[in-house]
Amino acid sequence: MPAVIPLLVFWLGPLGYIFYLSFTDWDFMSPDKLFVGWDNYRYLLGNPEFYQALKVTGLFGLGSVIPIMVGGLLLALLMNSKLRTSGIYRAFIFSPWVTPTVAVSIVWSWIFQPDVGYANHVLSWFGVAGIGWLQDSNWALIAVLIVTLWKSVGWAMIFYLVALRNLPSDLLEAASIDGANAWSKFRHITLPLISPTTFFLAVILTIQSLQAYDQINVMTQGGPAGSTRTLLYLYYQSAFEAFNVGEASSVAVVIILICVLLSGCSFLIGRKMVHYQ
Amino acid sequence: MLRYVMLTIISLMMAFPFYWMVMSGFKTNDEIFRFPPTFWPETFLWSNYVDAWHAAPFARYILNSIGVGAAISLLQIINSSMMAYALTHMRFRLKGLFTGVVLLGYMIPSTAVYLPSYLVLSKLQLLDSYTGLILSNCVSVFSIFLIRQAFMQISHELVEAGQLDGASHFRILWTIITPLARSTFAVMVLITFIEQYNNYFWPMLITKSPDLQLVSAGLRSFFVEGGAYGLKWPQIMAASAFTIAPLLILFLFTQKTIMQSVNMSAGVNKN
Repeated sequence: MPAVIPLLVFWLGPLGYIFYLSFTDWDFMSPDKLFVGWDNYRYLLGNPEFYQALKVTGLFGLGSVIPIMVGGLLLALLMNSKLRTSGIYRAFIFSPWVTPTVAVSIVWSWIFQPDVGYANHVLSWFGVAGIGWLQDSNWALIAVLIVTLWKSVGWAMIFYLVALRNLPSDLLEAASIDGANAWSKFRHITLPLISPTTFFLAVILTIQSLQAYDQINVMTQGGPAGSTRTLLYLYYQSAFEAFNVGEASSVAVVIILICVLLSGCSFLIGRKMVHYQ
Repeated sequence: MLRYVMLTIISLMMAFPFYWMVMSGFKTNDEIFRFPPTFWPETFLWSNYVDAWHAAPFARYILNSIGVGAAISLLQIINSSMMAYALTHMRFRLKGLFTGVVLLGYMIPSTAVYLPSYLVLSKLQLLDSYTGLILSNCVSVFSIFLIRQAFMQISHELVEAGQLDGASHFRILWTIITPLARSTFAVMVLITFIEQYNNYFWPMLITKSPDLQLVSAGLRSFFVEGGAYGLKWPQIMAASAFTIAPLLILFLFTQKTIMQSVNMSAGVNKN
């Protein structure tokens, strides 16, 4: 079982190690790690940057997961009937998911240029004044979210396409005969039957949103004024830029706790709400 | 009809950044800084692509990424199938515990433990080496789940028949089970390769020397350093274009398999 060793060395081991480190004040350099108890956590709870990052993480989560799921479902519905060319559309919409986030984020950061970018050009068609996008703390997170949505919506769409294709057609036909209109069919038959997919996407996308790093690193580096600094980004900055291992570890522990909490919730919700056939 | 129109518009919007990237790569610096932006380059400056290609060792970055991606995919095939085999067709005492550990790995993002993993690698003297990068990626929880799913569908009688013939577990795994799960392996390899080619955060932390950089990190340093930022946008766009190209080509040829993967990963989660 050679797989177990790397799993232990790079997974379980570090997981335990990080809890330990979060109780020290290590800085990468000094030979000894001083045990400081709950100090890092106390510091974190008194630090406005932490709450800001917590807020950004929440906003990023909601702002990415919900639009990606809704968008993916709408696209799948749009594509579900037997279109002859749907393969081409599917390829187009899915392709961003395959490409490196760093490369596409660079392209997008040009599109979001305030003076010459295409985003403001499009706005000018509608007579809207240009936006500072990545330089404006009110808009930077939205810009990052747009890229995230662009990248993942095709991925979610494929999941929904598979789910829609597996719907039992006799049930939908029976409903049509009973005089149900499109909306009530969707609301009472399709939506409950695809709930396992919805549930799966919600869980996976939430975990992915907690891991988002590449696009933030390229486009904003957490700025301006911390408006795009998620917990993960705060963790990265305090560990590898400020070299505060203890502090960074306590942020990581918070991220891990959030994951465990969310997984627990999803487990409970999954039991109650999801309709498996 | 309306569907076609809407889908066409959406597809064009999705493809626009790619189009923009390729076209901007042909423009002059003056043209790229013009507002309103021009949709079609006035003259096609192929030299931007040539310059960008030579301005940083992109050929090397791309080969690095392909090599590392391939090595990791290969190791993951071996490791995941052994693990999956143990979890599905062997009986041993700590089976429940192992399944639990794998499940835990599925819940907690690996990014959260980058710091201690980094320290582990530095203790092992494996920082700034491909050995470290490849070893730390040679097991993936997702792959284990995916392969496990495929192995569970293979009847246990086949394994028993093999055992009756006196075949070892290794033989059973590689000659009986693995060939039956070929399509799942194809999916796994593709997904792993794409993921590793695109990987940025972890390789960036580990490999510092320019020669070892993978393509994402290399592109990023070209973007930020060397005075390129804000000055040589056509070259940056050209560089992004050839960073993306290998994957778009791969996607073109393996579309079906990649999209099929989605079906499979949804299945992974049901158990």
